[in-house]
Amino acid sequence: MANEISTGKVDRPALVVAALLLGSAGLVAYDASKQTIISTYGVGPTAMPYVVCVGLIILGLAHLVVAFREGIPKPEPADNVALVWITAGLIGLVACIALGGGFILATAIIFACTARGFGRRALLVDTVIGLVLGVAIFLVFSKLLTLSMPSGPLEHLF
Amino acid sequence: MLKSILSRGAVTALALVGLTTAAFAQLELKIMAPAAPGGGWDGTARSMQQALTASGIAKSVQVANVTGAGGTIGLAQLVTAGKGDGSQLMVNGFVMVGAILLNKSPVTLTQTTPIARLTAEALVIVVPTESPIKNAKDLAERVKADPAKVTWAGGSAGGADHILAALFAGAAGGDATKINYIPFSGGGEALAAMLGGRVTAGISGYGEFEGQIKAGKLRVIGVSSPARLANAPDAPTFKEQGVDLELLNWRSVVAPPGLNAAQTQALADAVGKMAKSKEWNEILKARGWDDAYLPAAEFATFLKAEEARVAKVMKDVGLIK
Amino acid sequence: MDTFLALLNGFSVAFEPSKLLFCLVGVFLGTAVGVLPGIGPALTVALLLPVTFKLDPAGSLIMFAGIYYGGMYGGSTTAILLNAPGESASLATALEGSKMAKAGRGGPALATAAIGSFVAGLIATIGLTFLAPWLVQIAVQFGPWDYFALMILAFVTVSATFGDSPLRGLTSLFIGIGFGLIGIDKLTGQARLTFGVPELLNGIEVTTLAVGLFAVGEALYVASKRFREPEEIVPIRGSLWMNKQDWKRSWAPWLRGTAFGFPIGALPAGGAEVPTFLSYSTEKKLCKYPEEFGKGAIEGVAGPEAANNAAAAGVLVPLLTLGLPTSATAAIMLAGFQQYGLNPGPLLFAEKPDLVWGLIASLFIANVMLVILNLPLIGLWVRLLAIPQPWLYAGILVFATMGTLAVNPSPVELSMLFLFGYLGYLMRRYDYPVAPMVVGLILGPMAEAQLRRALQISLGDPMILLENPISATLLGIAFLALVAPFVMKGLDKFKAAED
Repeated sequence: MANEISTGKVDRPALVVAALLLGSAGLVAYDASKQTIISTYGVGPTAMPYVVCVGLIILGLAHLVVAFREGIPKPEPADNVALVWITAGLIGLVACIALGGGFILATAIIFACTARGFGRRALLVDTVIGLVLGVAIFLVFSKLLTLSMPSGPLEHLF
Repeated sequence: MLKSILSRGAVTALALVGLTTAAFAQLELKIMAPAAPGGGWDGTARSMQQALTASGIAKSVQVANVTGAGGTIGLAQLVTAGKGDGSQLMVNGFVMVGAILLNKSPVTLTQTTPIARLTAEALVIVVPTESPIKNAKDLAERVKADPAKVTWAGGSAGGADHILAALFAGAAGGDATKINYIPFSGGGEALAAMLGGRVTAGISGYGEFEGQIKAGKLRVIGVSSPARLANAPDAPTFKEQGVDLELLNWRSVVAPPGLNAAQTQALADAVGKMAKSKEWNEILKARGWDDAYLPAAEFATFLKAEEARVAKVMKDVGLIK
Repeated sequence: MDTFLALLNGFSVAFEPSKLLFCLVGVFLGTAVGVLPGIGPALTVALLLPVTFKLDPAGSLIMFAGIYYGGMYGGSTTAILLNAPGESASLATALEGSKMAKAGRGGPALATAAIGSFVAGLIATIGLTFLAPWLVQIAVQFGPWDYFALMILAFVTVSATFGDSPLRGLTSLFIGIGFGLIGIDKLTGQARLTFGVPELLNGIEVTTLAVGLFAVGEALYVASKRFREPEEIVPIRGSLWMNKQDWKRSWAPWLRGTAFGFPIGALPAGGAEVPTFLSYSTEKKLCKYPEEFGKGAIEGVAGPEAANNAAAAGVLVPLLTLGLPTSATAAIMLAGFQQYGLNPGPLLFAEKPDLVWGLIASLFIANVMLVILNLPLIGLWVRLLAIPQPWLYAGILVFATMGTLAVNPSPVELSMLFLFGYLGYLMRRYDYPVAPMVVGLILGPMAEAQLRRALQISLGDPMILLENPISATLLGIAFLALVAPFVMKGLDKFKAAED
C-alpha cells in the first residue's frame, strides 16, 4: 500500500471534496457553537451538529488519503455548450419569477432552453410549445385546483 | 353526475349572489395565507373566500399561499410588497406572535393594520385516565415540587401549547424556566404519547382531544377559556380551580401598512359584514370554530396586550434572550 | 363474525350505483392530480376536499377514499417514468423504477407497481378491517425510544443504496444529514445553519432535494454527455406487460413490502418512508440477481411500492380507531370527516357504523377500480418516453419545477432546486450515489427528534434505549444487520470497505 502514496500524482477533485467536507464541518461546528439556548433536559440542539461535524471531518480526512492514492473516479469531458444552455434556462426561470414575469413565461423559457441544450435548433418553435404547455398547466393548476401561481402579464389574460 | 353536482353548486352560488345587495359586489380582495395549502391558516383564508363571495360581499377573492417560518415570511411580504394595497388581507393568529419573536423576524405585527379577530379556540390540559392527577391543584403541586418530573406533550416549541405550559407552571408557583416541555410534530403524535402514558400531561386545542375525552381515555384537568365551554360543560376552567390562567388560540386578519382611513374602513366593514353573515356562521359550525369576532379598534388593543404577554412568557421559558 | 356482518353491511352501502360512481370519480381525480410532481397525496386530498363538500356524508367519504388511494397510485408513475419522486415515499420506487423505464422496461415497472399497490392495498385494508383495534393498542405503546431504534434500523439499510464505494456513499449520507440540520430545531425552536435567510427556517424540503438531485441532476448529466455517448431511450423493449419471470420475482416482494408497510404505517410516528427503505434493502439482500440492483431490478420497484401503499392504509388504523391523524394526509382527512360533524375516534364505530363500514368497503372497491383504471393506462404512459429526447427532457424540467412553482414559488426555493440539480450532476460525474443524501435528509431529523424526546423523558439517561424491550430488540436487529455481513465475509472484506 505504501508505495502507492509515493507516485507523486495527486487527485485534484478528491482534494477539493476533502476541502469542502472539512470546510462544511467547520461551518457546522461554528454554527453550533453560536447557539445560545440549550435544552433544560436531555441533549440540546447542538449535539447532532457535533455528531455530523465529526462525521464530516472523518470523511474529509478519508478523501485526503484517497487523493494521494487512487483518487475518485475520473469523469469524461462534458459537453459544456449543452450545460450553458440549460443553465441559462434555469437562471432565466428564476429571474422570470423574481421579476414578476409569471409562470407561463418561465415555463416557456426553461422548455426552450433545455430543448436547445439537447441539440434542437428551433428556439422559436420550442418557445411556442413551451408557452402552450405553460398555459395548459396554468389553467389546470389555477382554475381547477385553485392554487395561486406566480402571475405576470400573460396570466392576467385568463 | 359530477357535472350536475358542480352546476348545482354554481346555481346556488348565483342565486345567493343575486339575493344580496350589489353595493359591495365590486370589491376585489386578495387574502394571503402565510402557510402551506391544507393548514389551519389556509383553511381560514379559504373559508373567508367562500363566505365573502357566496354572501356577495366581494366580487372576487383570491387566496395566495406564502409558506415558511411560522408565517413570518408571509408577514414580511405583506409589510414590504403590500404596502398601501387596500385590497390585500392576511390571515394570522396567536402562533405568529410567538414565531416573530422566535425567528427574530425583522417585521412585526405592529407594522400591519389590524382588521379583525375572527375565531378563537380554548386550549385544554389533559392527563391519561389512569393518572393519579385529578385536578389542576394536583398538577400544580407536582409542577411546584419538581418541574422536571412533569413532562408535557404538545405542539411546536414557542407555540400556544408551550406558552400555556409555561403560564401554568408560573401560575402554580413553580419555576417556568424548568418546565420539561416536549414538542411533538402534529397533534396525532402528541396524543399517542398521552394514550401510551409516556408523558404526564398533554396540551392541545379542545377539539383535538374531544373524542378521547368523551371515550373516557383522557381526563380534563382544565380549559383555558374564561368560562366553561358550551360543548364541554363538565370541563372546569383553570380560573374556577384557583389557577389564574387564561389563554385563547385566536385567528385574525390584518391588512398591509400605509392604508388611508377610507381603505381601512372598507376592509373592516367587509370583514365585519362577513363575520355576521349566514355563510360564515355555517362554516364556523361545520369546522367547529368558535366565533370570536372583535372589530378593528378593539382587536388592535388586544393584539398589543397579547404581544407583550407572549414576549414575557418566552423570556421566562428561555426561548428568547 | 360481527366484523364480517358489519363489513357486508358496508358493502351494501358502497355498492349503490351512485356511491360506485362517486368512488370512480374520486379514483380518477386522485390519480390525475397525484401524477403531478410536487403535489403529493396530502395536497391532492386538500385540493379536492371542497369538491366533496356538496355530497351527502356517505358519498363524500367514499369519494374521499377514492381520492386518497388514487393519489397514492399517481405518485409512483412520475417516479418511474420521469425519475421525479413527487413525495418522499416514492423515492425508493424511483431508484430502480427509472432505470427500468430507461431500459425499455417501463411497462413491467408500472405494472408491478400497480399490481403491488393493489395487493398491498387489499391486504392492508383487510388488516385494517380485522386487526385495527388490536394493532392500535400496540401502536400507542411505542415511545420515542422505540421510534429512535426504528430509525437506526432504517439507517443501517441505507448502505443498500451506496453503490460500489462505502466512502462515497457515506459522504453522500452525511451531507444529507447535515442538510437535515438546516432550519428551526423542532425541540427548542432555534434556527440552525440558516445564516439569516428566512426561507431556510423551514428547512430543506425533501421533495426539493429529491427532485433536484434526481430529475434536474439527471437531465444535466445526460445533456453533458450527449455527443459522447448519446442516451438511447427505448420506450418498450420486450413485453409491455409483465412476463412470467417478472411475476415470479414480484410476488414475494409485494408481500414482504406489505408486511413492512402496514404495521409501520399504523404507528403514530412511523411514516411511509421507513418501510420503503426497509423493503428496498431487504429485497436487495434476498434478490437472486443482486447485480441488477442499481440497474433496474424489478424487486426494487415491487417491494417499496407495496410498502408505500400498505403504509397508506396503515395510517387509517390510528385515524379511524383513535382519531389520531399521523400524517399530513390523515390530518386533512380528519378535517374532511369533521365537515360532517364526524369525530373519528373510539366512538365512531359505535355511533356511525354505516359510514365507517361503508368507507372501509369503498377502500376495497377503490382499490379494484384503481388497478382496472391504471393497467390500461400503462401503455399510454410508456409512450411518453417516445417523445424526442430534447422535448422529453425539456418536459421533465418543466414538470420538475412546476410543483415548486405551484406550492412555494419563491426565487430562493427555485434556486435551491437548481443548486441541488448541479450537485446531483457533479455527484453523477464523480460517481457519488445521490439516494443516500435524500435518505439522510429524511431520517436524520426524525432520528434526532425522537432521541432527544426520549432523553428528555428519561431526564438524560441513555439507558432508556436498552431498558425497553421494543427499542432494545430493534437496536439488536440493527446491530446484527450492520455486523453480520462483515463477520460473514471475513476481515479482508472489512479492510476493503474501510478504504
